[in-house]
Amino acid sequence: MNTIEQQLWDYIDGNLDVQQALTIKGKINSDEDVKLLYEELLKANLALSSLELDEPSMSFTRNVMESIVTAPAPITLKTKVNIHIIYGISGFFIVLILALIGFALSSLDVKNAGLDVKFDVVLNFDQYITPTLIYTFLFVDLIIGLVFLDYLLRKRLIRK
Amino acid sequence: MEQKLSDLVLIQNVLNGDSAQYALLVKRHQRFVFTLALRFAKNREDAEEIAQDCFIKAYKALGTFKQTAKFSTWLYTITYTTSMTFLRRKRLNTSSIHDEQTFLQIENHISAFSANRYEKQDTYRFLNEAIQQLSPDDAAVITLFYQGEQSLEEMGETLNMEPNTIKVKLHRARHRLKEKLQYLLQDEVKELL
Repeated sequence: MNTIEQQLWDYIDGNLDVQQALTIKGKINSDEDVKLLYEELLKANLALSSLELDEPSMSFTRNVMESIVTAPAPITLKTKVNIHIIYGISGFFIVLILALIGFALSSLDVKNAGLDVKFDVVLNFDQYITPTLIYTFLFVDLIIGLVFLDYLLRKRLIRK
Repeated sequence: MEQKLSDLVLIQNVLNGDSAQYALLVKRHQRFVFTLALRFAKNREDAEEIAQDCFIKAYKALGTFKQTAKFSTWLYTITYTTSMTFLRRKRLNTSSIHDEQTFLQIENHISAFSANRYEKQDTYRFLNEAIQQLSPDDAAVITLFYQGEQSLEEMGETLNMEPNTIKVKLHRARHRLKEKLQYLLQDEVKELL
């Protein structure tokens, strides 16, 4: 579907490339029927462009503002999802996974006869697990818990 | 460009807790939102209800608005989907271009123009009448392009379609509008005789 009328509309809208525009311009100048159609479309385009917008009632803005008074105040998505909480939770799980991997590796006793390489990894974690480490770990947990509680309470407050 | 920046500043103020600033955004965009809603609802009361609903929805979802896009495009998307939902709910008859029995509720439009006063006003009257006779989809495309002054790309964003599809839709809408105008003008000639 690529009639002369469509091409003329594209020409008026400025949707044609230079070569196509020149071709259409040539047709307008050489063909009287095309020229008449072009002038007709140009008039229609001008009339459509100058159509005025309708006006709602005088109380429109007031009605909208009265309706939104009861609606919860909008907040940005950034505020909704606190990135620190996500980092805290992911950090906690990374530490947990690393600890599990470390523990699994420490229990390994691998001997590969073919390569004649001996893996005899025995890690003693007892020396690392000190009361200070346990207190630090529990303190971090407490902080994450408090941040999460704060997030929940804020959310409840916003809903109210 | 300035208006876009101003829209963004107003949105930021609203998000920072100054809800009263939203009234300025409403005032700025209410005429177009109402006009677009009128293309679907065909009467002022319903169109006003749709337009109000759109602004309330936009307010509630303001936090999700990506501030890299134009606020108007985002708002028109809400208007389009809200109007479509309204149409589905009300099960309004969308007029076919061959349907001569279509009842037009355009009294409020016509009242704004007094016939036979000025040739220009007559042109606008006929144009508005012809647009009202189009299907809501065609009327929305024409309104977004000419009265919303949106590019094909922006319209594609608003209507969730490819710009090329919009281009074809616009061509078809204009063609149907021409047919409607020819039909209306023919009647006018008959009246004059």
